[in-house]
Amino acid sequence: MMKLNPPDSYWKKDVVLFFSKRFALLIKMLYPVALIVPVAASDIPAQYAAAVVGIVAIMAGTFGAGESLTADLNDGILMRVALTPLSPRRIVFEILVVNAVLDFIQLLPALLILYTLNPAPLIWVLAATFGLFATLVTANCIGIFIANFTSSPADVLLYATAVLAPLIYISGFFRNTNPSGSLATLRDFVPFAYMNDALRAVFGLAAHNASFEVFAYPAVVCVVLAAGVSLTGPRLLSPRL
Amino acid sequence: MSALSAENITRLYKSSGRGVSGVSLTVEPGEVFGLLGPNGSGKSTLLRVLSTAITPESGTFRIIDTDGFKEKQKTRAKMGLMVDRPTHYGDLSGWANAYFFARSYGMEEGKANGALAELFDYFGLAKYKDDKVKTYSYGMGKKLALIEAMAHGPEVLLLDEPSLGLDYTSQLSFQKKIRELSSAGVAVLLASNQVYEVEVMCDRIAFLHRGKLITEGTPEALISSLKGVKRIVARLHNPVEYDALEGVAGVIRAVPEGRDLVVHCEERPGIVAEVVVGIVGCGGDIVSLSVERPNLEDVYVKVTGEALRDDEA
Repeated sequence: MMKLNPPDSYWKKDVVLFFSKRFALLIKMLYPVALIVPVAASDIPAQYAAAVVGIVAIMAGTFGAGESLTADLNDGILMRVALTPLSPRRIVFEILVVNAVLDFIQLLPALLILYTLNPAPLIWVLAATFGLFATLVTANCIGIFIANFTSSPADVLLYATAVLAPLIYISGFFRNTNPSGSLATLRDFVPFAYMNDALRAVFGLAAHNASFEVFAYPAVVCVVLAAGVSLTGPRLLSPRL
Repeated sequence: MSALSAENITRLYKSSGRGVSGVSLTVEPGEVFGLLGPNGSGKSTLLRVLSTAITPESGTFRIIDTDGFKEKQKTRAKMGLMVDRPTHYGDLSGWANAYFFARSYGMEEGKANGALAELFDYFGLAKYKDDKVKTYSYGMGKKLALIEAMAHGPEVLLLDEPSLGLDYTSQLSFQKKIRELSSAGVAVLLASNQVYEVEVMCDRIAFLHRGKLITEGTPEALISSLKGVKRIVARLHNPVEYDALEGVAGVIRAVPEGRDLVVHCEERPGIVAEVVVGIVGCGGDIVSLSVERPNLEDVYVKVTGEALRDDEA
């Protein structure tokens, strides 16, 4: 059986730390429930219910990776890890994947309650779940990318807002729901849009995309984004002088 | 082949203009090499460059046969590193932190456990190994950083202020361990402001001042460069203005060290009596007086003082 503690790799270290702070863990697990379940149980229009769930996922992903990364960079511990023979690209890739998975675990109870309250075809449940994971990967990529330019967790919030606002608009959460022309083309490259589409289907609206598209396209975008931010590893993990 | 060889390393910070400039040095296998210099002299910058944390504007360095800038990961695998302000994952235990680093350096599970058990025991951390690091004292954190630097059996150790904050017995243990490692062929580059420790531990020493390597040699050679100089140590009841003392013929400099006033002067008959008269003349109430041979602290004062005067000129 795989042993997590003591950790022998970066991602195991993050998993051990995630589960070691019990009170913080409780809050992390409860706040998505507190935000998503009332929305899932309410009668608000399906479009907005899907948007709220999507926004919670985006925020959890972006701020989680960006803030914890800048905190570790400021502390100096990440720099020390970067001076081991581990490849900086691998370290960043592990940070990305483990943060996305931990964010997903954080959102999973709320998601399960949502699916229970809003029964939907299995394929759309799976598509929404995958779309949400792709969103978390994308959001974590954004958070890591932002950490390349600032060592302040507060700045991460600021820059993330500037990056996320247009992406949320393009994804059609609230406005731009039926884009055309270049906006429609751009939308095809944003994984948030696919999650939003699948969640709308879960809440009973017609989806813009076929379910297989929700699996295929965000997966490709996420692979490209993950490779891209991993390449920033040497810069990200070098001292800020 | 040298364990570490650095050639013409230059790295200046744009913001402050400080850093290192044109520094070259070699450390042989089994040698303990000390870097001394005032704060801001470039010791930590040099260690940052040699640890591959930052890239210099010019220069090269090798660890054994590995190019430090072209083969960074291979270089890092051969090095043990302790940075000046060690940090750890506070919510992990001391053991978990050290194990994580040992495995990151490629140690197998069994070997990591064996090496860590021995080092935790050696540095007196065995009974605290399962405590979270955030409960450790500063000194315990330093010991943990030393364990992390040594566990994987590096060929070269880079240590920045390694014993600062350690209690006296831990300092002795640290010195003994460094001697053991050097006897086993490990090359050690140690930057410190603990002059006495550097004198007793290091085979060779280099002085850095304002980013430049200004002198280098064995402790004995550096101290013998003060040939013809006497060190008079006067313990005083009261602090005094000692500027007038430097007017006494043959007095090179006077430096306060805690409750002591250390006077460096030429060796000539009668000078001790003249210094005593000078101190009393300055209002000093002498509790005890000793005349000693110069030590590395005197070399430090001479070298950095001369460099300061050169800068001012």
